[in-house]
Amino acid sequence: MNLLYRLAARVPTVLMARRNVSRARARSALAVAAVVIGVVAIGTIGAGGEAFRQNQLSAYEQLGGVATVDPVWDPEDESLADGTFSERQVDRMRQLTTGTTVAPVVDQGGSFVRDPEGDPLLTAQVKGLDDPRMLYEVESGEIPADWRRSVVVGARVAENGDIEVGDRVSVATNGGVDGDFRVVAVLESRGFASPLNADRTVFVPLSAFDTEEYGQVILQVDPQVSSVEAETRKVEQRFNDRGPNVDGETVQSQRENFEEAMGTISQFLLAIGAISLLVAAVTIANTMLMSAIEREGEIGVLRAVGYPKRAVVSMLVAESTMLGVLGAVVGVALALAIGSVLNYQLVGDPLAFTASGFRAIALGAGFGVLAALVAGIYPAWKAARKHPVEALD
Amino acid sequence: MSDPRGSSESESEFRSGSGRESESTSASTSLSTGTDAIISGTDVVREYDTGGQTVRALKGIDFEVGPSDFVAVVGPSGSGKSTLLNLLGLLDVPTTGTIRLRGDDVSAFSGGERTVARKETIGFVFQSFYLVPTATALENVEMPRMLERTPRKTRERATELLERVGLGDRLDHKPDELSGGQKQRVAIARSLINDPELVLADEPTGNLDRDTGDRILDLFDELRAEEDVAVVTVTHDDYVAEAAERVVNLIDGEVRDTDGMAGNTGGDEEW
Repeated sequence: MNLLYRLAARVPTVLMARRNVSRARARSALAVAAVVIGVVAIGTIGAGGEAFRQNQLSAYEQLGGVATVDPVWDPEDESLADGTFSERQVDRMRQLTTGTTVAPVVDQGGSFVRDPEGDPLLTAQVKGLDDPRMLYEVESGEIPADWRRSVVVGARVAENGDIEVGDRVSVATNGGVDGDFRVVAVLESRGFASPLNADRTVFVPLSAFDTEEYGQVILQVDPQVSSVEAETRKVEQRFNDRGPNVDGETVQSQRENFEEAMGTISQFLLAIGAISLLVAAVTIANTMLMSAIEREGEIGVLRAVGYPKRAVVSMLVAESTMLGVLGAVVGVALALAIGSVLNYQLVGDPLAFTASGFRAIALGAGFGVLAALVAGIYPAWKAARKHPVEALD
Repeated sequence: MSDPRGSSESESEFRSGSGRESESTSASTSLSTGTDAIISGTDVVREYDTGGQTVRALKGIDFEVGPSDFVAVVGPSGSGKSTLLNLLGLLDVPTTGTIRLRGDDVSAFSGGERTVARKETIGFVFQSFYLVPTATALENVEMPRMLERTPRKTRERATELLERVGLGDRLDHKPDELSGGQKQRVAIARSLINDPELVLADEPTGNLDRDTGDRILDLFDELRAEEDVAVVTVTHDDYVAEAAERVVNLIDGEVRDTDGMAGNTGGDEEW
């Protein structure tokens, strides 16, 4: 008698449960599959959602001291009638603020970009900005100090158009620039939550636009001198003294809004995952009920030969719990696998699991086992309560 | 079982179960074996409610089983044989009347206590074996004792019992690798794992051919002699009845005669 057997014999009902689980293989496998689905749903939604969040939050990195100021379009107010800032207004912002770089952005709409082959890049936008380095890291190439007749492209634009530094792209906007430009740099990916949607943007030097109408102004505040909140508030107060003209928002608060939205979404998705575990619990209850009915005679024998009710209950609950544990183990493995794929896709590192990602997977596994255990109680109780005489008929 | 404690002829004696005459006629035997009896019943009645109707499955019978007895209960189906077997196995309790296990009134037992008493005193051999199909012969025999947490002892005893019933070379066979007779022998070994005083066998030869049945009956004889186990069997099979020490003829919930007694010297216990 080997050691394992002797250990297992300490918990005989578990030993018997294990044997029973492997008896109706197909049925057990299906019940396990139900748990797997639930655990994977919760684990993947949790871990994947976390990877997605990380990916999106990276867009806000190093933008702690940055705020955006947008015009509020007001038909009553002549000065901002077309919803843009004038050069004069931008100058006024410069005067109002301290320790702040005020960077106007031209965003004319009607952007049209062709890749080096001449194919249109439908999702690409064109924006004018003095110095993208103020907000973004350069992935490849270099933005010259005197940046005038070339463009800088976002990561997604470069990927979609297969664009490298040195290629020429054709850029046109609604009444602004129109021509071929050399690509001098490709920006690092920032995710779609990035202010200005950098990944999908072709940045053109402001000087290339013949305009003094700016769709947005970016404030970058030197933390040594002032805080971005204070400077943004200052601009808002001065511009809005006679009614709402501008809307300033720090990247930090955009980040908070984003996180809040993410939190709501991921809770909603987790609730869906939890429902799938509920379904798994119902499946297991059904499986156990069927299996208990099928083995009525056998359970009757156990009761007849002196197994107390609680031994029968613990055997059957051990069985259903085992289905849950099996499902959880497989589910965790799958969730980790899927999670690492998502991590690779979104964050670039397959092992970039975070504590909260692990927590979601553990939560799924825990709930899976718990649901299976709870699901087993009623069928077990029902089977144990059955009178052996009736069971043996 | 149930000998009507009298000569067993008249229904009135049975109906009155504990009636004067039966007691008087059998008083001496009762007393002499009473201390020894594993299980005894007095005026045992079992009624069932079936959809508003009350069916009297047993109409007041007396019985007593002593060590090493071999009693066959025969009778047509519906005569109350199974009911009697369930009562003897403490799987059921009488509606009225008293069943005593080693002198203790079982109606005072809780469900849990009856379960314990079953485990300690009674072994069951079921008609359709009821072996666990995924477990080996050895594991099936161990099953009633698995909760003991003494795996080594249990395994030794189970091995010994399987050798005892001639299956020492089939320890690791699953039920579907065994013949009917072999399965029945596994079931018998299983019934003995807790060292019972009484083995209850429901149609022990019902699914077996004559030769195999013979071997099972021989086995019962050996076990009674060597393990001191009483055997009570319910059977349709006259052949089994012939082999028994006493035969109790149950008809319509009453004992009609105990013809086995004559052939088997009647002695030790009465049914």
